[in-house]
Amino acid sequence: MEGNAIFQVENVTKSYGGIHALNHVSAIFGEGLTAIIGDNGAGKSTFMKILSGVTKPDDGKFFLKGQPVHITSPVEARRLGIESLYQDLALADTLNVYANMFLGRELVRRIAGVPLLDERRMARLAAETLEQVRINIPSVHTMVRNLSGGQRQAVALARAIHFNASVLLLDEPTAALGPKETDSFNRIIMGLVQGGKTVIMVTHNIPQMMDMANRVIIMRAGNIVAEVRPQDVTQEDVMAFMVGSRTLITD
Amino acid sequence: MVRLKDLRPTATLAESKFSLLQSPYFISNIRILGILVLLVIGFGVLAPGFISVASLQSILVSTALFLLLALGETFVIISGGIDLSIGSMLAMSGMVSGVFMSRYYNNGSGTTIALLGLIIALVVGLIGGMLNGVVIAKLRLNPLIVTLGTMGIFEGIAELISNGLPISNFPPFLFVLGNGGWGIPWLLWFTIAAVLFYGLLLAKTRFGRYIYAYGASKDAVVRAGVNTTIHATWLYGLAGLAAGLAGYLSAAHFETASPVAGSQYLLIAVAAAVIGGTTLQGGEGTIWGTVIGALIISVLQNGFVMIGLASFWQLVAVGVMVIVAVFFNELQRRTRIASAGRTADYKAQRKPFGRAG
Repeated sequence: MEGNAIFQVENVTKSYGGIHALNHVSAIFGEGLTAIIGDNGAGKSTFMKILSGVTKPDDGKFFLKGQPVHITSPVEARRLGIESLYQDLALADTLNVYANMFLGRELVRRIAGVPLLDERRMARLAAETLEQVRINIPSVHTMVRNLSGGQRQAVALARAIHFNASVLLLDEPTAALGPKETDSFNRIIMGLVQGGKTVIMVTHNIPQMMDMANRVIIMRAGNIVAEVRPQDVTQEDVMAFMVGSRTLITD
Repeated sequence: MVRLKDLRPTATLAESKFSLLQSPYFISNIRILGILVLLVIGFGVLAPGFISVASLQSILVSTALFLLLALGETFVIISGGIDLSIGSMLAMSGMVSGVFMSRYYNNGSGTTIALLGLIIALVVGLIGGMLNGVVIAKLRLNPLIVTLGTMGIFEGIAELISNGLPISNFPPFLFVLGNGGWGIPWLLWFTIAAVLFYGLLLAKTRFGRYIYAYGASKDAVVRAGVNTTIHATWLYGLAGLAAGLAGYLSAAHFETASPVAGSQYLLIAVAAAVIGGTTLQGGEGTIWGTVIGALIISVLQNGFVMIGLASFWQLVAVGVMVIVAVFFNELQRRTRIASAGRTADYKAQRKPFGRAG
């Protein structure tokens, strides 16, 4: 565990028919980057969907900064300060950068009592956030479909961090990026981690996580089989936990 | 950690300033406006009486009814759907309202009855449209199939309540609304008000923003926390509302309510939206574009009459315009995808998104 517990889950369970996607999973997330790794079908994505409110668990408790919370929907998760960056980015291609950043949380100003979109303010604030995390987008008025893969990722990330989330959930965020864009993305993530954010990232890239993560959670068949600090293990150890040739170690 | 208030304006911040030119639809709307102006000038040269107050007013009046349908259709198409029932909705709203007005009108100008008739037409249209929306969103059915079904249902209701016959015993005040005016015909005042209402709703409100977003990515809207069932219900409800108004104004203008009143308007309404730049893939379009698209169709229809061409040429011309508009939309989309791919590759090699790098 790095630092204090920011986000805690207890006994989270989810079944689809007779299949246990998650089996009484408990974890504590502190400040810093926690990587969740595991083979296909290990339950990583289900776990992330439950944390982000997209999927409802059959059972389980959630605590944010020590307080019990109910994550019943993505909106509720965001209200609690838990932001998600989805694998498919969930961007609306025909909207511009700032419209995407504020989608669902548009700023309005009342004219004769009628709430109308405050385009100028949204554009300015979006540009400020992009500046803050050093993301270079040609213009916040650019339609998202005209951006490169890395820039689109950056917009999705900027949306997640604009609202000052304390917990950031990233599901395979660099899966569709080239090496250079992945490096740039990772630099931004590390900047956020250094700024005190709690970042939880699902990834297949074990070498990368061994460099970046403060803690690695390894899942297999709907269970957490190990929680380790990267400096305490080798990549081979992690692989062994993933495939089941070694079991249960915790830090 | 950098604080927002410590930031100084930079190139990106300067770019954040808002102007009309930054609208992605500005250029395309100017382009179709240019086509409209060229058509008006062309017909003006070929038929000297074409550019006159009477002729232009006639064009505007003939545009009004199908433009009202096109407003709602534009909403639906931008959201990635289609509504085939708006023509029948026009007929049903006009008939229900017409039956009410003809039954309860006794004598005098019938102002109250006529205004109650308006409310009834609007409510019938709204409820019919909301029914479409609920079925599409709640049962997750294809809008094309659902509205094809309700097209028949609404037309059937319109026929049933009148035994298939037109109704025309209306209060005189209705005729004033349909054919009188204050400077310009009342019919146009209603249409202008509807254009402003729908235009504002689409371009300047959260509701309108979600219409675009839904057309571009349903997942994005769902994950943004928007209740898509409620949104779709109101979206199709508003298409029905516009059809309800069109049904009422049709009865007022033609002094009769007919169960087949809207049958010829459906395809023209879709054509107006498409010519105006609304793409059938969803996520793109404007009310202003649809207004220009509707005017282009009316100018073609009226212009052909004035230069003495047979009426079927109007249908041919509108058909060609729709195909050309769809072709250009598709061409733009393909070009954009191709160039975005190249640009993305180039930018990724040259400079990823990180300014620090």
